[in-house]
Amino acid sequence: MKRLLAIALVLSLNGCALWEAYNLAHFDPNEYRIVTEIRTDASLYKDQCPDAVVSKANAQAIYLKTQLFENYSEQIPYNSNSIKASKELNNIAKGLKERYAGKDPVSPMFCKLKFESIEHSAQTMQHVLGNRPR
Amino acid sequence: MSLDNIQSQLAEIVNSGDPTFANFATQINQIVEQAKSGQMSNAEVAEILRDAQSQLVILEEMSDLALKEKLNVAINALIMIASVV
Repeated sequence: MKRLLAIALVLSLNGCALWEAYNLAHFDPNEYRIVTEIRTDASLYKDQCPDAVVSKANAQAIYLKTQLFENYSEQIPYNSNSIKASKELNNIAKGLKERYAGKDPVSPMFCKLKFESIEHSAQTMQHVLGNRPR
Repeated sequence: MSLDNIQSQLAEIVNSGDPTFANFATQINQIVEQAKSGQMSNAEVAEILRDAQSQLVILEEMSDLALKEKLNVAINALIMIASVV
């Protein structure tokens, strides 16, 4: 009876969602570590925004990590949500790096809000990636 | 649409009862306040608001992934039950 109930429950779920969920990428300590580093760096860098020289270097540094995160995530099978999110996170960081590389001065407020966007997004991802099945 | 109109819409989301989107709307409201105070150029404000769209995508993807994680736990539990009985 229990076996029948279990089979009935499994069959009642959407096939595609079921397949994706069943094959879901497991917890990856490297992926988790990189996103934790991004969050931590962004939380420290946002306080350094009044110093434009330091912030330009910080913008470059965080972009290297978000790029690393995107590249790392994209080859993990059954990882589509993380791949899309890592691309968005990298785009946020890329915008800051490019603005510091441009001619116009970058306002400390813009720098602070950018690092806060990165920090909040990385924190959201860290929470979910940390709950991946072991 | 004026900045004041945008802020009243954001206030509705803040009071919507959904903690995730309420926090998000609060963040956007802070950005609008910064834009009003003139501490950023228009181009910078536009980019910060585009980032807000990226953050929404990240929230959506992570919310979907969190559901799949729960489903994964349930499926494995069902398989265990089915194989034991």
